Amino acid sequence: MSQPGQSNESVIEVRNLTKVYRDFWGRPKVRALNALSLDIKKGEVFGLLGPNGSGKTTTLKLLLGLLFPTEGDITILGKPAADVSKNERIGYLPEESYLYRFLNAHETLDFYGRLFKMPASVRKERAEKLLDMVKLAPQARRRQLKEYSKGMTRRIGVAQALINDPDLVMLDEPTSGLDPLGNRDMKDLILDLKKQGKTVLMCSHLLADVQDVCDRIAILYGGELKVMGRVDELLKAQDETQILSSKLSPEAIRDIEAVIKKHGANVLKVDQPTANLEDLFLKTVQESRERPGHRLVQEGKSGA
Amino acid sequence: MSFDPHPLLIWFQKLPNGGYLLGAIPVWFIIAGGLALLVLSVSAVSVFVTHRGAGGKLFLRELSGCISDVLSLSPRRIGALAKLTFLEAYRRKALAVFVVFALLFMFAGWFMGDSKEITNDQVKVYISFVLRAISWLVLPVVLVLSCFGIPEDIRLRSLHTVVTKPARRLEIVLGRVIGFSLIGTVVLLVMSSVGYIWIVRQIPKTAKDQGLLSCRVPVYGSLTFLDRAGTPADKGINTGDLWEFRSYIEGATAARAIWTFKNMDASALDSEGNLHLENQFTAFRSYKGDMKRQLLFDFKFINPEKPIAPNQPLTFTTDARQVNEFRGVTDKINRKLGREGDEKTYDLIDDFVMKDGSLIVEVSCIDREQYLGMARPDLFVRRPDQPFYIGYAKAVLGIELLLILVTIMSVTASTFLKGPIAAVLTSCLLMLGGEDSHNFMDELVFGKFKGGGFLESIYRIITHMNPTTDLPDNPAFVGMRFFDAGLTNFLWLCKQVIPRLQYFNMSDYVSNGFDVPWDASVVPSILVTLGYLVPCVLLGYFALRIRELESK
Ligand SMILES: Nc1ncnc2c1ncn2[C@@H]1O[C@H](COP(=O)(O)OP(=O)(O)O)[C@@H](O)[C@H]1O
Ligand SMILES: [Mg+2]
Repeated sequence: MSQPGQSNESVIEVRNLTKVYRDFWGRPKVRALNALSLDIKKGEVFGLLGPNGSGKTTTLKLLLGLLFPTEGDITILGKPAADVSKNERIGYLPEESYLYRFLNAHETLDFYGRLFKMPASVRKERAEKLLDMVKLAPQARRRQLKEYSKGMTRRIGVAQALINDPDLVMLDEPTSGLDPLGNRDMKDLILDLKKQGKTVLMCSHLLADVQDVCDRIAILYGGELKVMGRVDELLKAQDETQILSSKLSPEAIRDIEAVIKKHGANVLKVDQPTANLEDLFLKTVQESRERPGHRLVQEGKSGA
Repeated sequence: MSFDPHPLLIWFQKLPNGGYLLGAIPVWFIIAGGLALLVLSVSAVSVFVTHRGAGGKLFLRELSGCISDVLSLSPRRIGALAKLTFLEAYRRKALAVFVVFALLFMFAGWFMGDSKEITNDQVKVYISFVLRAISWLVLPVVLVLSCFGIPEDIRLRSLHTVVTKPARRLEIVLGRVIGFSLIGTVVLLVMSSVGYIWIVRQIPKTAKDQGLLSCRVPVYGSLTFLDRAGTPADKGINTGDLWEFRSYIEGATAARAIWTFKNMDASALDSEGNLHLENQFTAFRSYKGDMKRQLLFDFKFINPEKPIAPNQPLTFTTDARQVNEFRGVTDKINRKLGREGDEKTYDLIDDFVMKDGSLIVEVSCIDREQYLGMARPDLFVRRPDQPFYIGYAKAVLGIELLLILVTIMSVTASTFLKGPIAAVLTSCLLMLGGEDSHNFMDELVFGKFKGGGFLESIYRIITHMNPTTDLPDNPAFVGMRFFDAGLTNFLWLCKQVIPRLQYFNMSDYVSNGFDVPWDASVVPSILVTLGYLVPCVLLGYFALRIRELESK
């Protein structure tokens, strides 16, 4: 894969980063991150993967200066993590959109916009553009956030993260709480950000999220870095071959198995391919959009 | 007890607590600077303990970060945060406090009877009811709101989204303080306007006609005495009253009470050129005498700068007048001073006000073997009255300043404590800020109690030792004394940190029909508020900065 707009310049440099959570008395409680070293280059989409509790959120919070490292060094956009002025160029979407529930969408974006050096006219224009971009329904924009569904909150959260047109975007579980359609939108948005030359650091526990958009990923487990590398290379199963054909008779299958055995390999699995559930849902929604009011019926039941 | 307004204050004169207003400024620098040094050295030590070698670099980096945060303060961001705070309180229905307010006033009439005879007291009750109700409603609301603002923000993690923008934590503290003060101010303004209309409409017409809804502007003087032989004295005679507030002069002797009023000129007179001297003397009769009339006294103006003969200053004695014991009376004295049958006339201002602007007024009692009691505030020059709303507005300003102080303290406490604990701490500080508790702390700190300090008094209690017996002079007791002295000094520091709230209470002036003096009340309360603003906000900023914003 070619890497447009990607350079060798590091946006984030992490050396030997360790975080130990302590209790009230200062006694160590959890070692959430252990000696992590990372380099994220300008213009790439980097995915931080790992199961729940593996230290992804902790890493992001350390990078943002929300938490203080127990050990190690962080340089982000050329500044230390504790330096607030770095935030001028950063957009952050927290794990759950931690927004003010008594504000409506416009007020929310205006409030966060005012924390940057943005004149009122620019704020208004940008807010409008972002709300369109994250596809928040116009009638919802005047309602307080406490009435929003999870997906809507997520959308306004993304808009909030992009209010300052940041160079570096950090997304913590960007697709959590989104329906497959929203999921798709989110991935498109990330790819769009990449196209604009922005650096994106996202974390997720869903491999599917990451594989479509990320250039490089790191997999954390128990606070330790297990794997790091380019996605296409990591996802290629090196020791398997997949053959897809139209429906075969049992005899044909037996013949093919014989051929495979002759070549000294093992047949691992023979079955009919099923459509990915996500694909099916997407297709359905796509069709209902194109032909509103048309009821889709599954083929097997139509005659009964 | 009659109302005793604070003594006349000018910048160099003594405060009621024995300090000086200007003297308070260096003390402020000592305390604030000392606390800053304490915080800095504690954090330096802890950084070196936790980070050893790298500590020095880290400490300097943090320090320069703090300084650059202070320098990069942005009014726009503070404004945004203040507006957010205001909206939050508003949308969370903090204004429901108005409902309580309305209920209180709807039923207030039931409890405050409409007594025709003592309209004077009634006016007083109405005014102090309104002002007290307002402050008792506004202050707790503001306290609770400000104590829970930041902790809730941390608990719900909405603060995470704010601090990952370029908002400095100092701006967050300031924005909170301003926002909560604003919402409090709105509530206060609405309530006090309603309260004003209520007072004006509720007060019986008779009271208004008597001019009871007034705002008197007193000029107090200094008071000295002459005893019955005519030699100067600090005090008059004690007639056996345990309350030593007033002292007495004997009638028809050389005993005098002499007031000196400063800064007198023609502006102290009313439009007809009358000087208003308001007095509230008490009478002490050693025999019944003529019960059909009150005791008699007169005023004598004296100007030593214009002697009519060597050692004989220019004087003018007014007609005798009656004491009115239970309510202050105003004697109007026209500036044209003259007597029937005597063609010599004087001008009160031109002839009796001295070059430095002081006017000397001597009071003598005329009835033989009767006594007239007086204290410094019992005679004052009443300058032309202000409209009532001026005094009322100043009393509201007093509540406003207290509200700002409460917000400052609550927000600061909430940066390092959880909401409920911050609320308890702030309430405790406010309760300790009262006049009585400050007087008590003064006595403790300045060693006015017999029986020694903490350890010494315990020792004396256990061993049943008389407080007047000296302790033996061995090292153990020296150590004990040393410990006690340290504790006392610590107590002194604590005392300095607790705000003195008596200046903020201006409603007593207003309900007693006085204007609120700038020098004795308004200016000190503004200074106290400002004095807390800077260190508290910095402390809150520091606390927010050194903590990770995870709720624990
Ligand atoms: N504030 C905290 N106090 C104590 N432990 C925490 C805190 N936050 C997270 N942890 C612990 O740190 C580990 C990593 O958490 P986190 O970074 O949130 O994981 P992830 O985002 O990968 O799901 C977990 O074991 C979690 O329990
Ligand atoms: Mg997480």
